[in-house]
Amino acid sequence: MSPQLRYVGQRLPRVDSEAKARGAALFAGDIRLPRMLHAKVLRSPHAHARILGVDYSEALTVPGVRAGVSGQDSAAVKWGVFRYTRDQVLLPVERVRFLGEEVAAVAAESLAAAEEACALIKVQYQPLPVVLNVWEAMAEGAPLLHDDHPHNINVHVHINVGDVERGFRESHLVREDTFSAPEDSYFMTEPYAVVANPLADGSLELWMPNAAPHQKAKALANALKLPLGKVIVRKCAIGGAFGGRSDVFPAEFIAALLAIKAQRPVRLVYSREENSLATRKGHGMFTMIKTGVDQEGRVLARDITCYMDGGAYSSTGPIATSVPFLCMEQCYKLPNVRFNGYRVYTNKPIGGMYRVHGRAFASGVDLQLDLLAEELGLDPLEVRLRNARQAGETTPTGSLVQSCGLTECITKSALAAGWRDKYGKLPPWRGIGLGTNSVQTGFPMGIRGGSSAMVKFNEDGGATVISGVVDNGQGNDHMLVQIAAEVLGLDLADIQLISADTQATPNDPGSYSMISTLAGGGAVKAACQDALAQLLAVAAPALQAAPQELEAQGGQIMVAGEPTRALPIAKAVRLSLAQGRPVMGRGSFFPRVDNKREWLKNPFGQLSETFSFGACVAEVEVDPATGQVKILNLVLSQDCGRALNPLVVEGQFEGGASMGGVGGMLAEEFLWTREGRCLNPSFLDYKVPLACDMPAMANIIVESMDQSGPFGAKEAGMSAAMSAAQAIAGAVANAIGRPVFEYPLTPARVLKAIQEKQAGLPARGPQK
Amino acid sequence: MDQPRPKQIFGAQVNGQGVELLIAPQETLLEVLRDRLELTGSKEGCGEGVCGACTVLVDGQPRRACLTLALEAQGLSVLTVEGLAQGGELSREQRAFIEHGAIQCGYCTPGMLMATRDLLSREPFPDEAAIRRQISGHVCRCTGYAKIVEAVAALGQAAPGEEQP
Repeated sequence: MSPQLRYVGQRLPRVDSEAKARGAALFAGDIRLPRMLHAKVLRSPHAHARILGVDYSEALTVPGVRAGVSGQDSAAVKWGVFRYTRDQVLLPVERVRFLGEEVAAVAAESLAAAEEACALIKVQYQPLPVVLNVWEAMAEGAPLLHDDHPHNINVHVHINVGDVERGFRESHLVREDTFSAPEDSYFMTEPYAVVANPLADGSLELWMPNAAPHQKAKALANALKLPLGKVIVRKCAIGGAFGGRSDVFPAEFIAALLAIKAQRPVRLVYSREENSLATRKGHGMFTMIKTGVDQEGRVLARDITCYMDGGAYSSTGPIATSVPFLCMEQCYKLPNVRFNGYRVYTNKPIGGMYRVHGRAFASGVDLQLDLLAEELGLDPLEVRLRNARQAGETTPTGSLVQSCGLTECITKSALAAGWRDKYGKLPPWRGIGLGTNSVQTGFPMGIRGGSSAMVKFNEDGGATVISGVVDNGQGNDHMLVQIAAEVLGLDLADIQLISADTQATPNDPGSYSMISTLAGGGAVKAACQDALAQLLAVAAPALQAAPQELEAQGGQIMVAGEPTRALPIAKAVRLSLAQGRPVMGRGSFFPRVDNKREWLKNPFGQLSETFSFGACVAEVEVDPATGQVKILNLVLSQDCGRALNPLVVEGQFEGGASMGGVGGMLAEEFLWTREGRCLNPSFLDYKVPLACDMPAMANIIVESMDQSGPFGAKEAGMSAAMSAAQAIAGAVANAIGRPVFEYPLTPARVLKAIQEKQAGLPARGPQK
Repeated sequence: MDQPRPKQIFGAQVNGQGVELLIAPQETLLEVLRDRLELTGSKEGCGEGVCGACTVLVDGQPRRACLTLALEAQGLSVLTVEGLAQGGELSREQRAFIEHGAIQCGYCTPGMLMATRDLLSREPFPDEAAIRRQISGHVCRCTGYAKIVEAVAALGQAAPGEEQP
């Protein structure tokens, strides 16, 4: 191995960016195949209704229409991420459970013909009573969305570690607060799109934005009752995921059914509104947090009950219900803790994991620490440092934290932001706040928990890397290529990447659990090391040296320290072929996690092999006349293990702070009518941050050099994204002199808090 | 159902090449570019002129191609992201976006690049406020805009009087 790293740690332009800059990268909606049909979906106008009949015969008479489908045309297999959450028929037969749910679809020679035909599909509905929030849904006698789930409780996660009651008894100070936030949404810039192409051998190839091609293929194969090898998910450019492309959607099932029926390629492109409501949205949340601390502000006990509005189906429910808690138990020491997380079914679109999942959870934990610190006369910064997780500790649910740069993140962010000069010393209506967070690098996923990779050398000395890792836009393709080039001693341009294609690439757990660098990058590194070892064995006799004396650098294999004794890699490759010893490298990375850990039945044991940690300090100014919050500065830091490419890592910090902090904490929320119709599914009405909304951001990369990650890398960006929201919540409370418990912090909510304070009313959390 | 209106011949210079097509009068410029000319670099993110991903230059002016009827560009020159590179060589805007890490998922990139070309053609040395104002008509969900602003600013940092490449 070369001791000097040529690529790791360098600010490198991404290998995929030129195609994107040229407009040549093909996204799913850009793909056009010969004889391709265009599909359109008919959606339920009711939030809850029985389907009495679907008749699309008249639709088929529209010129150009080639196929129609409804639930009756499918095997109506119930799908779920887990065996025990199989609750969604991808094209419903008996009942629709949210406004906008798929009911039928047609495929035609033109989109115009498909739209015309769609309007002619006749569906008879019997409307049913609806439940539109967790309280209605859990009320006695409420209509049930799924008959086998009393009180509409989809998932209940229960964790109880230590002796919480004793912890409260021994506490010097105990606080209880409630926090809430409505649903937020991904608004990835690319609307969802699927192309399905039936092949002559009975297999089906598909392109769609996804965060785990192998899992899309498996779920689709089950739903279509096809062998797994017959469902091929191909690679395409993907316009963002942020957690919202993780599991399987009706769109690919419908496109597949239509393609099989018509025996023609079918393209289904969602509108912006369909993307907002018929893929995934964030969860609404209502979190009650009780925390007891000693005189120094050390947390002795915490009891959290959280109700999450999950929408109509489970999706990743058990994971979504657990993750906000897990992030916080990783981040802070917690000797005694109880968590009850309830995900509740409502007649709204399906809730999924979100990049900043749990703003009314993590922000609550941090804001409450601020309030406790204030009551104790302590600096919140000190309280954070006293409670911050350290390497070598074990989380309450039993995960060893093997590397942790949290204290360094907090200290450096606070220093760069001038915390000690500013906290308590800012002029009126200015405030400063601190947020910290931690995320996983993957979850126990049994046989799907690891990633594998292959590497082959080409005659010209270049190499082809084959990996299942998918790139949603975060730079995973570049990450793999950079690791391969580093290990193989080649230029980035000498590496070809085949990835995210279920026919060609080995399994990978997908990118949504933040595992791609650790497992996918780790597998590619191992495969490249294996390939290089084989090549060095071939080259050694030619260089009259032992293989362990050799290294690869700059396209050459050379005797370490003697650059004149060298052989071009191309020559070594040809030598290996001439000798009948072709080089084929293989490698895998299966994280050391406890596969007996299960989200509901056994939420104990090693969750991820390693964890990332982040902190953010925000400084804000509030206009007391309008309640408008202006963010003056964000100082973002994260222990990402090692920054393989700081340019990419910074981009993850900045993008995360935009979505989670600026958008998530100040503006983003879905609004609903009493009928369950979303009022703001469009870019015009749902306010995502624009360039003019973004504050100055400073990035601090902390490197704990993780022992398992490739070159020490863990995960980049998620901890920073989440902590930005928490920091802003704290800064606004600091600025106006009272906490606000309902998020996002729109001018109306902030102004109400200011007015209540001026009227001498107590600060109150959200009411049920 | 409305009677289909008669098709018309649409002629324009698209990325420097003359095109002539028989199109329906209601076809948008974005549909003609993407579906007929297979120039899929221009993206549809919202279809209602908000997100900016479909922005192209029509006679040098930025237009939302999703809200522009193709016939509005009749006889005019249309520049799309595919026309930025000359003879295979990336344009300076493209190079700056790549080098500064301004591209993540890449879906907003074509529109951002066209907005950059438009800004620099009017204002060769924009300050940060001008850059932010210009790209605030374009939604990016990945970058937080910081690296995009840096890329555009770098293009406008040559000393006044110095020849722009």
